[in-house]
Amino acid sequence: MDSLHAIGFYVSAALAGLGGILLAFLHGHVRRGAALALTGLGLAGIYLSLSAGFAAIVVLICYAAAAAVLARPDYRTVEQVTGGLWRQVGAVGAALLLAVLAYAAFRGTFAHATFYGGAFGSVSVARLLFAHDALATEAVGGLVLLTLVGAAAAWRRERPREEREGRR
Amino acid sequence: MSVTLVGVLFVAAGLTALGAFIAAWKRELTAALGGLPVMFAGAGTAFAGVARFSAASGALLIGQEMAVLLAIAALAAVGLGVGLAGRESPR
Repeated sequence: MDSLHAIGFYVSAALAGLGGILLAFLHGHVRRGAALALTGLGLAGIYLSLSAGFAAIVVLICYAAAAAVLARPDYRTVEQVTGGLWRQVGAVGAALLLAVLAYAAFRGTFAHATFYGGAFGSVSVARLLFAHDALATEAVGGLVLLTLVGAAAAWRRERPREEREGRR
Repeated sequence: MSVTLVGVLFVAAGLTALGAFIAAWKRELTAALGGLPVMFAGAGTAFAGVARFSAASGALLIGQEMAVLLAIAALAAVGLGVGLAGRESPR
């Protein structure tokens, strides 16, 4: 991997991380949607620098759609009943997860191999999705379809607005 | 300057932990839902990195396939979560 790809990878990784941090600390539907879109943009850049151009395009489309859904102004805000202590325990757990995963990555010894695939890889991925793993792809497609139909059915029911004070 | 599999796995670990932090920290469930795509991004990065750096010659790009499926699953999870949260009636 040459320097240009390496710079692209690290800049994209920084963009994805920044988007995630903004997603954690920003308030408001539109801002959170924009932060998720930034994460998607960074992730697409990561995939592109890893010679996964087709995956990058799919990620751009999917994360832009997810960001548009999160940025909608009219969905209900549901608050957890979990106390602050448990949320802090969860945050510490996330830090422990980072430490464990980083240690595993640092200590791992991996075999290096030359990459023979192209920069885009759509043909190879399509062969996998529609020939080698066709049944699994259909299962995932069916699951996603059921999920979206269920979400649309749930969305049709209108709930009364709850009174809140500036907690969006 | 170069990128190795270890570097990719560090980024993947960071994104996964960041997603877990968002899911644990946010008080609103619909905001915590935003952590799922970030966690999936970390998993997808690890898969794509393995497909890029550790694949033997002629191996299938299963890591890229998983990255594609994870992106679709992230969209479905966000759609389902927001749909289940429901629409708020106008004032």
